[in-house]
Amino acid sequence: MSKILPLLTGMLLLCTICTIAQTREISGRVTGQDDGSSLPGVNVVVKSTNEGTVTDSNGNFRLAVSGTNITLVFSFIGYEGQEIAVENKSVIDVAMKADITQLGEVVVVGYGTQLKQDVTGNVASVSGTAINNIPVNSFEQALQGRAAGVLVTAQNGKLGQGINVQVRGSSSISAGNQPLYVIDGMIVNSNNLSGTTSSTNPMSDINFNDIQSIEILKDASAAAIYGARASNGVVLVTTKRGQSGKTNITVGMQYGSSKPTNNRDFLNSEQYIELYREAAVNRDLASGFDPVNNPGDYPGSFLEDIEGTFDYLAGDTDWRALENNTNWEKEAFQKAGLFNFDISASGGNEKTKFYFNGGYTDQDGILIGNSFERFTGRLNLDHKVNNRLSFGTNINIARTTNNRVADDRQFSSPLQLVAQSPLTPVRDKSGILFDDDFNPAMFYYPATMELENSRFVTSVNRNIVALNAKYALTKDLSVIAEYGIDLLTQNEDRFQNSKTEVGRAVNGYGRSAWAQVFNQTSRVYLNYFKQVNLHSFDLTGGMDYQTTTIDRTRAEAQNYPLDGLTTLSSAADPILTTGSFTKEIFLSYYARANYKFNNRYLLSLSGRYDGSSKFGTDNQFGFFPAVSAGWIISEESFFNATNTLSFLKLRSSYGITGNADIGNYIAQGVFAPEAYDGSSGLSTDRIPNPDLRWEKTLQFDLGLDLAFFNDKLSVQLDYYNKQTNDLLLNREITGVTGFQQLYGNVGSLENTGIEAAVNYAIVRNEDISWKVGFNYARNRNKVLQLDGDNDIIDPSSTRFMNVVKVGQPIGVFYGAEYAGVDPANGNALWFVNEGVEGETTSIYAEAKKVVLGTPTPTTVYGFNMDLVYKGFDLSILFQGVAGNKIFNAAGAFMSANARFEDNQTIDQLRRWQNPGDITDVPQARLFRNNGAQISSRALTDGDYLRLKTITLGYSLPASLLSKISLTSARLYVTGQNLLTFTKYEGWDPEVNTDYTSDTSYFLGNDFYSAPQAKNLIVGIKVGF
Amino acid sequence: MPFNKNNMKKYTQLFFGILACTLLSACDNPLDLNDPQSINNELALSSDQNVKLVLVGAYDALSNGDLFGGNVLRNAELLAANGEIRFTGTFPEPDEIFAKETGTSNANVSNFWYRSYRTINIANNVLGALAVVNEEDRDEVEGEALFLRGLSYFELVKLFAKPYSFGSPSERDAVPIVLTATNGLDERTTAERNTVAEVYAQIIDDLTRSASLLVTSENQASRATKESALAVLSRVYLQIGDYAKARDAADAVISSNKNYALNGSIADAFNGGTTNEDVFNIAISLVDGVNNMQLFYAAKTFDGRAEIEITQKHLDLYEVDDERLDLFYVDGTTGVTRTGKWVNKYGNVKIIRLAEMYLTRAEANNRLGTTVGATPADDVNRIRTRVGLTPLDVVTLDNILNERRLELVHEGQRLHDVKRLKETITEGGTEYTYDNNFLVFPVPQRERNVNKNLSQNDGYTNN
Repeated sequence: MSKILPLLTGMLLLCTICTIAQTREISGRVTGQDDGSSLPGVNVVVKSTNEGTVTDSNGNFRLAVSGTNITLVFSFIGYEGQEIAVENKSVIDVAMKADITQLGEVVVVGYGTQLKQDVTGNVASVSGTAINNIPVNSFEQALQGRAAGVLVTAQNGKLGQGINVQVRGSSSISAGNQPLYVIDGMIVNSNNLSGTTSSTNPMSDINFNDIQSIEILKDASAAAIYGARASNGVVLVTTKRGQSGKTNITVGMQYGSSKPTNNRDFLNSEQYIELYREAAVNRDLASGFDPVNNPGDYPGSFLEDIEGTFDYLAGDTDWRALENNTNWEKEAFQKAGLFNFDISASGGNEKTKFYFNGGYTDQDGILIGNSFERFTGRLNLDHKVNNRLSFGTNINIARTTNNRVADDRQFSSPLQLVAQSPLTPVRDKSGILFDDDFNPAMFYYPATMELENSRFVTSVNRNIVALNAKYALTKDLSVIAEYGIDLLTQNEDRFQNSKTEVGRAVNGYGRSAWAQVFNQTSRVYLNYFKQVNLHSFDLTGGMDYQTTTIDRTRAEAQNYPLDGLTTLSSAADPILTTGSFTKEIFLSYYARANYKFNNRYLLSLSGRYDGSSKFGTDNQFGFFPAVSAGWIISEESFFNATNTLSFLKLRSSYGITGNADIGNYIAQGVFAPEAYDGSSGLSTDRIPNPDLRWEKTLQFDLGLDLAFFNDKLSVQLDYYNKQTNDLLLNREITGVTGFQQLYGNVGSLENTGIEAAVNYAIVRNEDISWKVGFNYARNRNKVLQLDGDNDIIDPSSTRFMNVVKVGQPIGVFYGAEYAGVDPANGNALWFVNEGVEGETTSIYAEAKKVVLGTPTPTTVYGFNMDLVYKGFDLSILFQGVAGNKIFNAAGAFMSANARFEDNQTIDQLRRWQNPGDITDVPQARLFRNNGAQISSRALTDGDYLRLKTITLGYSLPASLLSKISLTSARLYVTGQNLLTFTKYEGWDPEVNTDYTSDTSYFLGNDFYSAPQAKNLIVGIKVGF
Repeated sequence: MPFNKNNMKKYTQLFFGILACTLLSACDNPLDLNDPQSINNELALSSDQNVKLVLVGAYDALSNGDLFGGNVLRNAELLAANGEIRFTGTFPEPDEIFAKETGTSNANVSNFWYRSYRTINIANNVLGALAVVNEEDRDEVEGEALFLRGLSYFELVKLFAKPYSFGSPSERDAVPIVLTATNGLDERTTAERNTVAEVYAQIIDDLTRSASLLVTSENQASRATKESALAVLSRVYLQIGDYAKARDAADAVISSNKNYALNGSIADAFNGGTTNEDVFNIAISLVDGVNNMQLFYAAKTFDGRAEIEITQKHLDLYEVDDERLDLFYVDGTTGVTRTGKWVNKYGNVKIIRLAEMYLTRAEANNRLGTTVGATPADDVNRIRTRVGLTPLDVVTLDNILNERRLELVHEGQRLHDVKRLKETITEGGTEYTYDNNFLVFPVPQRERNVNKNLSQNDGYTNN
């Protein structure tokens, strides 16, 4: 592939050689047909030649032509082209008609903007209007299904938690896999700051009603200007700015409710008793006792044991009379409300423009005890001092309060309630909660108790403030200086009183963990834009200096004399005070040159020289260049533009991006403080690696942009190949060294894929507008090499199956292959997978591990439709993934044919009972593990298709509005996640338990993970 | 500020001011940052004070929950359960060990391996930096580091290799021996397993040197002393069947000047800090350390996981008057019996008690027909009378071993006694002889993935 590139570039350069003839002069002015304003930058070309010019800032042009029968072609992005015969005219004024397609849109790129038509890289653009007012917690979720090649997965349905975004596949194993987030030019904090294993999401501090557009830079050419941190793609968020003219005030309000997308069925009391009695008797029979038929065998039998257990579990009810039947799943969920309020004002004059927004969100989670509240305020201000100098500021403040629930792995996590027996009532007859200790009728501590006796609140104060100034040194050259801060202060406040599992032995436990992240960027860059005849140059270059400090303090205390006094100062025993401080610095120099000739030949060179404090002293700097070229074939004279094919562009890019998303200081060999027996000590912590350097991704992209039917139908096709080398691998090393891991630059992996985006404006006239869009991406992720001859990273989990294996996608499920049940005896069977094909064994240890599937979808797609008819609007978004598997790690407890006392999923009733039974659920054996070992038994297809969003709105007609002094008014109803089509039998196929969110390749696991919320809201938006 | 030519100039200056500031901030290579949380390797090993801090770090490593913070004892108990205890918990790792179906990916086992070598490596760091330690403290520091290394290898060899009593120890694989600090990836990453005999030789060398270097006069059972080194040596010699040396080492502990004494009640030996009965323990406090024995054994009332029950089969082993029965309690929540040896989350983990030294001396004297220190009957009766049992006039080997079994129960010793005495463990009708493959852990698969030269133990498949 790399051979095509120089060829292509050379070809494009050749075309720039042009000849200039001289005779008479023609002049004129080009204006827009709709408002009569002058149009600068319009291409004016003599038909069938390369001669031409562009209009100046007042829309005027001057052109020397020779010969007769001359026709001028006027073309401009966003307008329909025109051809005018010169004849003997010397002045030609043209009014151009606006085009309805999107090719004329301006897209935001790093350190600037570009016309979409001129972009030679791959940038997915999502407009703010598509995602505003969507009832999700964080804006990344609203991107689901909107951009080809962008996979968005929420961990689970807990509000405020981490969201996994993958652009063109995973390009790293141990370093970060998340894209770089840039808001109005400032790289912001997007890293998890949670003090527990479940991650939180700093992006949920952003009010996405402020968002004007989101651009996702996917290929090397688009992203290389962010060089060192661009391997995982870059998400550029642009917020709204004021326009000169009348001040627009808009007020929006939403009210709605949420519930789980799905329920899972568990045994009721009668079924529970039947199954567990059977499980006990099976054990007795196996030991030669028959307590059912020989009463003498009853004492000391498993049956006696389980009936005693039933007595215990039933609390103060009579299980023999089936007095109680608790649906514990229902107890885990709550009636969840959602309220949003948003007020914005924007306007200004020629000199000063502003955009103001104040927003409030109050959202309940579907899980008991989970909620999220957010206040945001924004002021974006632009002021033009004179023709040379302008400055502006963006001020964003936010306060979020997240009532969190325990991590999926904790007994106190709400959905772990499903493990409780249906025999156990929630409360006894006097109204006191049952638990495993104070009023015991359970084996597992219940979330019901936790909820009434604890608090787990994460509050965040966030200020993102940026100042910028732009000074035009000459007409073509400007210098831009920016300074921005992102200050995030977070407190995770937790209190568990003496009735909770954590607090009971220590008479109440409290914790406060503060973190302050201060990220500041100073930047100066130059922009040069010059148009000479048909040549257009756009040059950008500058430097960034960014520091990020993270300052943490945590205090823990126990022994609270009164449950009512819950702050740390009320505790008698402080048990821990700890703190840390880390700093990272990026020093970067970057440049980009875009060249365009005759509106059809495009060339872009960009690069970034990036230094980071994270790397070894020998390798702090890395260089990340990219080149791309485009050819708008449809502009060529030989191209006979027809109505059918109205636009055709071929583009290609190649470049290197980097990844530095690893912890601070890890290249240094250090000892860390530890303590023993009241003395301070130092323990080995890391082996030094002064050679540690950037992880590099080489990416090739070949794309084709097409438009048909007068640009009504546009198609974008891409092929890409990403090779990531020098992986920043936290490689496994032998424990004999006294260490288990050491970061090194070893190994490589590859992502190859195709993307397609199709948009079709089917109808557009005064009454009706109907658009549909479809995006599709397929990615193949493959680990090419790990450390030396070691071909696997197997973290030795007995609960999860994800590994990293050469030749396979990252995080493949690797384990024993379940072979069902031996019809003769009810034993669980596994395939041996070695030697004789199809051979099975009932001894788990004899089953060789095999690759069982990938946790990451190979195909991601979305379909959207927008229909506006008179005052009504309807928009629909379907979104889906395919090719992945989901592992229910909780299956070892909830679908384990009555191994422990945990309530079982209803499918366990099809257990093996008698010789000859053909089933996939083994014989129930109390306290015996018959098939619950991790294997493909708990693995299912993860494909799904979801009606992500559907909105129906009605806007009041202008005639009515004027009577009530409004400029606009719209009422709407939105449904989120209303329909989900999947084969997955769990709660929800969009899942990855927070239990394992600290290991990047532990993916696709369900462990009592909350489903996504199904939301239904009504909203109103009024403009004054 | 209205715009005019003068102001224009100011703006320009402001502009280039910002530019200059930005550039300046980058001048004195700002990218060299040090971790404020830790100190670099050279510095950590550069002074007397720092090397002593690293030594404390080695104790901290030893006290990890996967090692003597509890799991080393717990795992031995689970393997030797013999129907006398039952594991009812939900963690798959201890469940596998209890079932004697330990997987090659068992995280408790791979952590035991790694954490042991981590302790060894920190000890090796200390041993490699003795030159900077003040001369008057050098023997003490070296002795403690050797103790920690010897003790770590002893646990490794007992659980990753067949017992010394089985076959030829010089022909069977144990674990790799590493005696120098890790500073990079060198030949140790491809090390083969040394033999059982080699590892035992190393352990005896480390502990013997440790015992001769340590001269501390006070009893500080949470740190290594001459006596704790001797006490571990007595265990080592019992494992290899060298009863004379086992006897002498135990006798040296008993007759030392540390004022060791049995507590009036056995209950006083547990759930607290150091007592006169403690020869070695792991310090736990409110702010530091974990006690995994308490975590798994204790009822929820004591903030335990309540996952190990004591069965009637075990309770039937005692004489009715035995006050050790009073140590057991009925868990109010589940109605099952649990041991009272491990109920205080913040109690030290008792590793070696004086009682064991008496029983070791008694056993060795009995086997050798000697009465070094005391007669076997006297030693055994010290243990018996404390728990309200009548003294025996004559003791047989069986009496001694039975007393040992009951006195040291739930302290992680039974498995190793079974192995050296070539006894059998019975679990749900299945018999596990002392040399059974599954009474030995598999070499962790993760270790074999990264070092192809590590062999696997018998009975474990390659996965």
